[in-house]
Amino acid sequence: MLYVVLFFLLFSLLLYVLLGGADFGAGIVELFSSRENRKVTRDTIYRVMGPVWEANHIWLIILLVILWVGFPGYFNVMMIYLHIPLVLVLLGITIRGVAFVFRHYDAVLDSSQIWYNRLFRVGSLVTPVFLGMSFASLISGKIIITNDYSNYGFYDLFMEPWLHLFGLLIGLFYAALCAFLAANYLIAETEGDARKLYRKKSIMYTVVLVVLGFALIVYGYFADFIFIEDFIHNPVSLISVGISGLLLIPLWRSIKRGSRIWSRYLAGLQGVLIMFAAIIAHFPYIIITSEEELSLLENLAPEATIDNLALMLLIGGFVILPGLFHLMKSFNLIKVLDKSKP
Amino acid sequence: MENLDYARLQMAFTLGFHIIFACIGMVMPFFMVVSHHKWLKTRNPIYLKLTKAWLKGVAIFFATGAVSGTALSFELGMLWPEFMKHAGPIFGMPFSLEGAAFFVEAIALGFYLYGWKKLPEKFHWFTGIIVGVAGVASGILVVSANGWMNAPSGFDYVNGEFLNIDPVEALLNPAWFTQALHMTLAAFVATGFAVAGVHALQIFRGKNVELHTKAFKIAIVFGAVAAFLQPLSGDLSAKDVAERQPVKLAAMEAHYETQKGAPLYIGGIVDEENREVSHKIEIPGALSFLAFGDFDAEVKGLNDFPDDELPPVPIVHYAFQLMVGLGTLLMLAGLIYFISLKKKNWLKNRKFWLLFIIAAPLGFIALEAGWVVTEVGRQPWIIHQVMRTEDAVTPMPGMKYSFFFYLFLYTILGITVTWLMNRQMKALNKEE
Repeated sequence: MLYVVLFFLLFSLLLYVLLGGADFGAGIVELFSSRENRKVTRDTIYRVMGPVWEANHIWLIILLVILWVGFPGYFNVMMIYLHIPLVLVLLGITIRGVAFVFRHYDAVLDSSQIWYNRLFRVGSLVTPVFLGMSFASLISGKIIITNDYSNYGFYDLFMEPWLHLFGLLIGLFYAALCAFLAANYLIAETEGDARKLYRKKSIMYTVVLVVLGFALIVYGYFADFIFIEDFIHNPVSLISVGISGLLLIPLWRSIKRGSRIWSRYLAGLQGVLIMFAAIIAHFPYIIITSEEELSLLENLAPEATIDNLALMLLIGGFVILPGLFHLMKSFNLIKVLDKSKP
Repeated sequence: MENLDYARLQMAFTLGFHIIFACIGMVMPFFMVVSHHKWLKTRNPIYLKLTKAWLKGVAIFFATGAVSGTALSFELGMLWPEFMKHAGPIFGMPFSLEGAAFFVEAIALGFYLYGWKKLPEKFHWFTGIIVGVAGVASGILVVSANGWMNAPSGFDYVNGEFLNIDPVEALLNPAWFTQALHMTLAAFVATGFAVAGVHALQIFRGKNVELHTKAFKIAIVFGAVAAFLQPLSGDLSAKDVAERQPVKLAAMEAHYETQKGAPLYIGGIVDEENREVSHKIEIPGALSFLAFGDFDAEVKGLNDFPDDELPPVPIVHYAFQLMVGLGTLLMLAGLIYFISLKKKNWLKNRKFWLLFIIAAPLGFIALEAGWVVTEVGRQPWIIHQVMRTEDAVTPMPGMKYSFFFYLFLYTILGITVTWLMNRQMKALNKEE
C-alpha cells in the first residue's frame, strides 16, 4: 500500500507542476507580451484554462494532504523551516487566483481591469519562483534542524535555507518551465497570427529554459551543492534530462509542421522528464539538511494510516480522474464543434 | 502578547474569514439550481437572469473560498507543526476524503460555469446539484476533523506517544455527527438570511422588484427551514458537550458552582475574579434539563476543574449567549416569513423588508460566535485532554507580523469582494 501512496504523491506532484505550472505559465506569457498580444492571450487563457484552472490547483491540496497524513515528519520540517517562502507562495496563489476570477466575473468593465490583469500576471510569475525556492531550500543543505532555537539567529534558521542564488536559479528555472509549457499548450489552441506568436514564444522560452538549466547546474556544481553533484552522477537523472533535450528536435519539427497534439504532448513529456530527473536524483533523501539527509521512506506514518490513505486515494482517484478527464475532453470537443459552425 | 497569542489570533481570523466564503460557496449552489430548475420548467427569463447573476457570485465566492482554504491547509502545519505531526496521521482521513470531494466540486463547477448552451440542458443542471452536494460533503468532513479535536479517538495515548491508530474510528469520532449537523444547518441559516437580506434591500429601494422578490423567496425558504431545525440540533450538541466536555459546557453558561438542579443563565456579566455572574436572568433547573434531560441532574461547575484547564470563561459565555440569542431572533424572522405566505399584504409593507435587511448579517455573526464557543471553549487544549495549544505552536518567532500580514491581505480581499457584489447588483438592476 505504501507504493500506492508514493505513486499518488508523485502523480499529484507531477500534475500540479505541469497543469498548475501551465496555468502559471500562461500568466507569465501574458506578462512578457506586447500590449496587443496580451489581449489575445487573456482571451485564450480564459477559454482554455477557465474550466480547469481550479481543478489544476487542487492537486496542491491533495499533495499537501498526502504529505501530512503519510509523511508527518517530513511535513513538520517543511512547515517549520519553509514557513516564510511558503507564505510568499500562498500570497501569490491568493492574488493570482482571485485576480483571475475578478477579471472574468466582474460585472463592470472599467479601469479596475488594469489592476486585475497586473496582479494576475505578476502573481503568475512570483508564485512558481517561490515554489522553486521552497523546493530548493529542501535540497540546499542549509536547513538546520534543532530543538534549541535560542542558540541560532532568526536569519540562520528561517531565511538562510531559502534565500540564496541557487534557490533563485531553481525558482526562475521552474518559472521558465511553466512558461515553456504554456506557450506550447497555447499553440494548439489558437489560429493564424496568434499561433505564430506562440510559436515564437515557445522557442524563446525553450532557449531561456535551457540557459537557466545549464546555469543552475554549473553554479550548483561549483558552489558545492550535494544535490547537483548527485544529480550529475545519477544515470537515471542524466538519461531523463538527455531524452528531454533530444525531444526538443521532434518538438520543434511538430511546431513547424503545425501539429497541435504532438507539440503539446511532447512539451508535457519534457516537463515530466525534467521533474522526474530532479526527484529521482536524490530519492528518497529529498530533504538535505546541514547535517543529515532525511529519507522520505523513514519518516512514515503508522501502517494503519498508510493503508487507509492508500484506500482513500484509490477511491478518490476512481471518482475524480474520469470526471476530470471528461471535463478536459468535453471542453476540447466543444471547441472543435464550435469551429465547425461558423 | 506572545507568539502563541498571535498564532491563535491568526488562526481565528483566517478561519473566520474562510468560513464565510466556504458557507456561501456550499449553500448558494442550491439556490442557484432551484432558480435554474424554475427556468427550465417555466421558461420565465427572470429565472435565467437570476441563475446567471447568482452564478457569477458563486464563482467569485468559490474562488475566494478555494484560495483561502488552500492557505488554511498550509496554515494548520505552519502555525501548529507539532499538532500536525501527531494528529495528521490520525485525523487525515476526513481531509483526504475532503480533498476528493473538493475536487469533485471544482470539476462540477467547471462544467456548470462553462457549460451554458454547450451541454445537454438537464445534465448541465445536474452538474449544479453535484456542486452543492460535494460542497456540503466537504464541509461535513472538515467539521468531522474538528470534531476529533474535541473528541479525540482512534488511538491510544501512552507515555506521550500515539499508538494503535485507527483512522476510521477517528473520522467517526463521538462529536462528528452533532457538530456536522449543527454546522450544516448553520451554513443554510446564515447564507439563506444573508442572501435574502441582500435582495430585500433591493426590494426596499424599489429596484427590479420582480426579480429580487423571486430571489428572496428562494433564499429565505432555505434559511427559515434551517433556522427552525437548528434548536433541535443545538440540543443534541449541548447534551453531547455536557457529556464529553463538561468544562466547555460550564464555560458556556459561566456556571461556577457544581449543583443539582442547576439554573440556566441568560445574559449576565461574568466576574472572573470573584467567580460569579451578575445582571443575569435565571431559569431554575433549566441548565440541568438542557444538558441531561433531567431538572435535578448535577451539573459540574468551573470551580471543580483545575485552574490550568479552564478556557477564558467570559469570551465563551458571551459568544454562546450571542449565538443562541441571534439564532432565536432568526427563528422568529423565519416565522414572520411563513405567516406572510398567508398575509400577502405584508409583502407591501416596507417594515417587512426592513426586518430582513437587518437580519441579513445576523446568521453569520451567530455562526462565527458558535465557532468561538467550540474553539475557545476547548482551550487550553488543541486536542482535548491530550495536547496543549502552547505545545503545538510553531517555534518560529515573529508571528505578530504574520498575523498583521493576513489581516491586511484578507481585509483588502473582503472589501474587494463586497465591492464586486455591489457592482454585480448594480449591473443587474441597470439591465431592467
